[in-house]
This record gives sequence, C-alpha cells and structure tokens, in this order.
Amino acid sequence: MPTDNTSQADGRSTSRRAFLAAAGTASVTAVAGCTGGSGTPTINILTWQEYADEDIKSRIEETVGVNLEITKSTSSSNMFSSWNAGQYQQYDIAIPNNNYVPKMMESEKDGGPMIAPVDEEAVSNYGGMYDQFKQFADTQFTQDGNRYGVPVRFGWYGYSYDSRSVPDHEASYSILFEEDYVDTDLSGELVMYDNHFKAMSAAALYLGYGDAFEGSKVSLSQKQIHEVKQTLIDQKPRLQGYIAADPTYIKSLKQGNFTVGQSGRNEIVEMWSSGDDWPAMATPKEGSLAWFESAVVSSASENKTKAWEVINEYISPQNGATLAKAGFSPSVNPKTQQHLSDKENEMFGAIDPSRLGEMIPFKSVENENAWITAWEEVKSA
Amino acid sequence: MNESSESGWRSSVPSRADLMAAFATRRRRLGITAGPALIWLALLLAAPLTFMVTVSFVSVDQSYQIVWEPTTANYAALFAGDTPLLQRAFVKSLLLSYAIAAVTTILCLVLAFPLAYLLARKGGRTFKVVIFLVLLPFFTMYLVRAYSWYLMFGPSGVINATLLRIGIVNSPIGLFNYGVSAIIVGLTHAYFPYMLLTLYASLDGLDYSLVEAARDLGASRSETLRDVILPLTLPGIISGSLFVFVPALGAFVTPEFLGQGKVLMIGQLIKDRISSLYAVGYGSAASMFIVVSIVIAFVVAFRYVSIEDLGGV
Repeated sequence: MPTDNTSQADGRSTSRRAFLAAAGTASVTAVAGCTGGSGTPTINILTWQEYADEDIKSRIEETVGVNLEITKSTSSSNMFSSWNAGQYQQYDIAIPNNNYVPKMMESEKDGGPMIAPVDEEAVSNYGGMYDQFKQFADTQFTQDGNRYGVPVRFGWYGYSYDSRSVPDHEASYSILFEEDYVDTDLSGELVMYDNHFKAMSAAALYLGYGDAFEGSKVSLSQKQIHEVKQTLIDQKPRLQGYIAADPTYIKSLKQGNFTVGQSGRNEIVEMWSSGDDWPAMATPKEGSLAWFESAVVSSASENKTKAWEVINEYISPQNGATLAKAGFSPSVNPKTQQHLSDKENEMFGAIDPSRLGEMIPFKSVENENAWITAWEEVKSA
Repeated sequence: MNESSESGWRSSVPSRADLMAAFATRRRRLGITAGPALIWLALLLAAPLTFMVTVSFVSVDQSYQIVWEPTTANYAALFAGDTPLLQRAFVKSLLLSYAIAAVTTILCLVLAFPLAYLLARKGGRTFKVVIFLVLLPFFTMYLVRAYSWYLMFGPSGVINATLLRIGIVNSPIGLFNYGVSAIIVGLTHAYFPYMLLTLYASLDGLDYSLVEAARDLGASRSETLRDVILPLTLPGIISGSLFVFVPALGAFVTPEFLGQGKVLMIGQLIKDRISSLYAVGYGSAASMFIVVSIVIAFVVAFRYVSIEDLGGV
C-alpha cells in the first residue's frame, strides 16, 4: 500500500526520501563535473598550439592538481580582442606576445585592469629566469608596484633565405628593400610578415629610425610613419606576398615560392631540425626584434593562485625544455638546458644572454592608429 | 502502459476542435506559422544589426571600453587621410571589394547560364549526373576547397609548374600568382552552385514553345537569346546574381588564403582593425557600407522583379 510520500509508476515505487537522495547525488555529480571531478578546478587557457603538448599538460595537471582546458590561438591580437570583448571571464590564463600585455593592463573591466597582478609566491621559478627578461617585465609589465605578466619563452625576428640561390652578404634589411643589395634578382622572391608591427618595424629599422625603439613604447613621428609607409609601398611590387602563420612560411619556402623572407628564427630552426640545411637565418645589423610570450591571469579568474602555479610550471626546467622543443624556441629559464640534448641546446636551447642585449624587445606602439592606417594604405596600394 | 497513465496521455493531447480553435483567426494562424521564424529573425538578425548600427555611432576609449555617447567620428575616420579620397585605404578596399564581387558574379553567370540551359533542355539522367558532378566538390569543407586553390596558384603552384614543365612558358605567369585573379577564381568556384541552381529553376520553368516560335518567325539564335530567353529568365538571373554578389562582397576566408596579404578586401580590413585596436565602432561603421550596399542591391532588384520571382521561376 503506497503511502502519501510515495509515487507509483510501472508497478515500482520510490519513497520521497530516496528520490531526494538520488537528486542530491546527481547534483553533486553534476557540480563535480563542472570542476573537473573530485573538486579539481579547471584552468582555461588561451594560448599557442605548443602549450597544449600532452606531456606538458599531464605533468602540470598532476603537479598543480588542476585540469587544463587549452584553447589554441594563432595571434596575440586575437587573444587581446577576444578577452577585451568579454572572454576574460571565460579564461583564466592567456599567453600573448609581450607587446600585448600593456594593452591588457590598460583595458579596464569592473573598475580595474582586465588582468590580475602576479602572485609572486606562486611563481617560484621567476627568480631563475634570465635577468634580461626580469628587466623587460619590470619595465613593460609593472604598474603601481604590481607586475602583471610572466615571460615564458622567447625568440627573435630577422630574415631567412635560401642559401643555395642567395650569395653571402652582410646581414641587413637592405636585402628586403634594395633591388641591387645582392647579386641576384629577388623581384617576386620576397615575403614580409602580414603584421603591421613586424613589417613596419623592419622598414623603420632599415630607414635608420632605431631611436624610436628605445623608450617604453615605439614612437615613430608622423613623418617617419609616412616614410615607412612609402618604403613598404615601393617594396610591394617586388613582394611575393605577406605571410602570417609560421607553417605557411615554412611550406612556402620549401615549395620555392620565395627566396628571402622576414621571419622568426624558430621557423628556420624547425627546418634545420627536419634535415633541411639550406635555409639560412640572418640577424640584421640594424637590429633584431625580440619577442617573448608572457602569461597573464584574468582578473575574473576564480582560481588565480592555481593559475599562477600553472604558469610557474610552464617555466620550470623540465616543462620549459619540452615547450622549447615543441616550438623550437628557448625558454626564459636557462635551467631548461639540463633537459635538452647538446644538439638541441646548440640549435635553440642555449642562447647567450648577451645576444639579447643587442636586440630590440617587442613593445607597445605609440599612436597605433596611425600605424594601422599606414599599414592599410600599404596593403591596399 | 496502464489505463490511468494512458488516459492522462490522451487528455494532454489537444483535440481536433482545440487545434481548429487555435487556427480560428488570421492573427492566430499568422502567429503560429510565422511567429517562430519572426522570433528567430528578430534574435539573430534584427538585434545584432541594431547593435551594429548603434556601435557604429559610439567610440572606444583609451582603456578599450565602449563610450555610449553618440558620435559620427567612426564614419569620419573611414574617410580620414591626407591622400586623395580614392587613394584612401577604406575607399580603395571598398571599391576593390565591389569590383571583385561584380566580376565574380558575372563569371558565375556566364559560366552557369549555358550549363543551366543545357540541363533544363536535356533533363533526366544527364541532369542528375551533371548536377552531381557540379556539387561533388561542395561535399567537402569550404576551407579545404580554398586550400586546394592555394596549392594550384603561386609561382611554384600546380598551374605554373605544369606550364613550365611542358614548356609553354619560360617563367611563372603573374596571372596565376596569388592576388586578385586567384581570389576571383576561388570565389567563382565557391558560389557557382548558387547561380547554377537558381538559373536552372528559372530556365526549367521557361515555355520553350516561345523559343521555337521565335526561331520559326526568323529570329537568329542570338536574337532569340536576347529578346526571348533573357527577358523571361531575368528574375532568375537577378536572384542568382544576388546570391553570389552579396557573400562575395564580404568574403574573408578566400582572400585571406588566395590574396597572400597583397590584397585588402573590406572584410579583412574590418577584422584587422578590431583585432589590433578593438576598434569595434570603426568596424561597425565600415560594415554599414556592406549592409547599405546589399539593401540597395535588393531595392534595385525589386524594381525589375517581384519577391515571388526571386525564387528563380
């Protein structure tokens, strides 16, 4: 005989107490599912492909006690614009190039910066990184006594070329802008980066505007921007195209679509690693632009300490070495060299820090609107 | 199922009388049939469009926040510059987009019309085989097709490499390099089926006894085409052209792949502005020119054909 607190269906009965217990269990399971099970928090990361390496991911998950959900991105500008449009609430960590960190610091959300200050205690590997990067972080990422970003890995831009068809020469951006710089016809054999900062900076350095890169921001005058624009417009008929992604660059160079191209060193190291010995990398005498990816944590993250611990693991000796191997780019932590072979250290793992002193770090741009307008005029010329 | 639950189930199903009552008035019929579609359009078309129009009249401050104060600065910024008007990036980009979309539309029309005519006259098995062959590449992803064209073009692409190998040319031909020509080919390939199927629908409904009558009365083939076939299939031509022109105007993926950065169509310009500067106001104002262009295209189309005719028949 069913009682008042019993429902009946298909000949089976369920007490109200049992129903509530089952519902409670289901709710707990559902909540546990949201946190990754057993109360393990999930850290959402927006970053480059190599950071999703399975070995690194599993080691970090085990060490920090979190689940990592990694969304791959192909550009720092997309990371910035998507976070600014509201995705800072969806992600805990982003790892853009260093010149986007100040922009993220400037972006206000709920009355404060969109990104949170570094939890110094959680990032215990910070002290082990090259002094150069600590200085970069101090000058670029520090505001009101708070630091907002942690450098992770780095590289630099110059140009690369097919040594089978381009003769030896003094490394200079002139090869990209002057027809007779080397004794071979490079018309239609050149590529530049499809990025206003990288392409215009190369032209600016070629024109001798190195002083503009010395402050906390790159500051070209209107006249200089005009000259840079005109130089790039004059160069355009000799270009095969502007290339955005690293894999496209490598494939196109291998296919023989161009001979000389503005590029990062990591693209060429990747080609060397795969057995191609003919690509050569040049560091122009006018100066190379050095990039370093830097991790930031969203101010809306509910797991900030865990997020900084995750970032700390990305610059640990073992994970930093695996990350360096995955992207052919060195870690900011020199201790990673202990986990790399001699050949790997020679190609990308061990970089003489004094070389970094000669390079120009990526920086934010003063009057970026004028840069973009000039770049659009170059692209549409 | 026991008797009590079966009766409960039956009582929850509306009776025929209930259904008839629900459709009793014209307003109710409209609400039930067109209501869901109207809600869908309001949420996914009208609301975003209204938001875009609004954002085109606001600015973004130094901390990348939208300032909700009306301004026309974004529209002024589109045309700002110290160069002649037609040399400014936005204007050049917009005009180039119009030109590429127009050439793509014309190419689709010229290529699709004879095939659609043939299919309409032949019908049967031939129709099925040809349509299958035409649509076969479209069973793959759009990105894969764009990438295929990427491999075909370029100084060392399949086309130039083949021409060089068989000795027709001594050096790669610029026409087959990445750029405007590659983009037009890619877009024509992408939107060809829209034109073909629309023209086929129009030509299939054509009364071919009129064509025969014109020929019997001494009209040449070209006169028959000009004076009989084209006027009667004009609705299909216009609707097919709209289906091609509109998406080609705002194309993004194809120019990204096949332009190799040397060409800046309006979609790319908007994307770059927003991702680099979070210039959502500028981007929205630029987008308005696409929206207004499309509205004008439809207004012009409606001057010549009714909305019923735009179905292609």
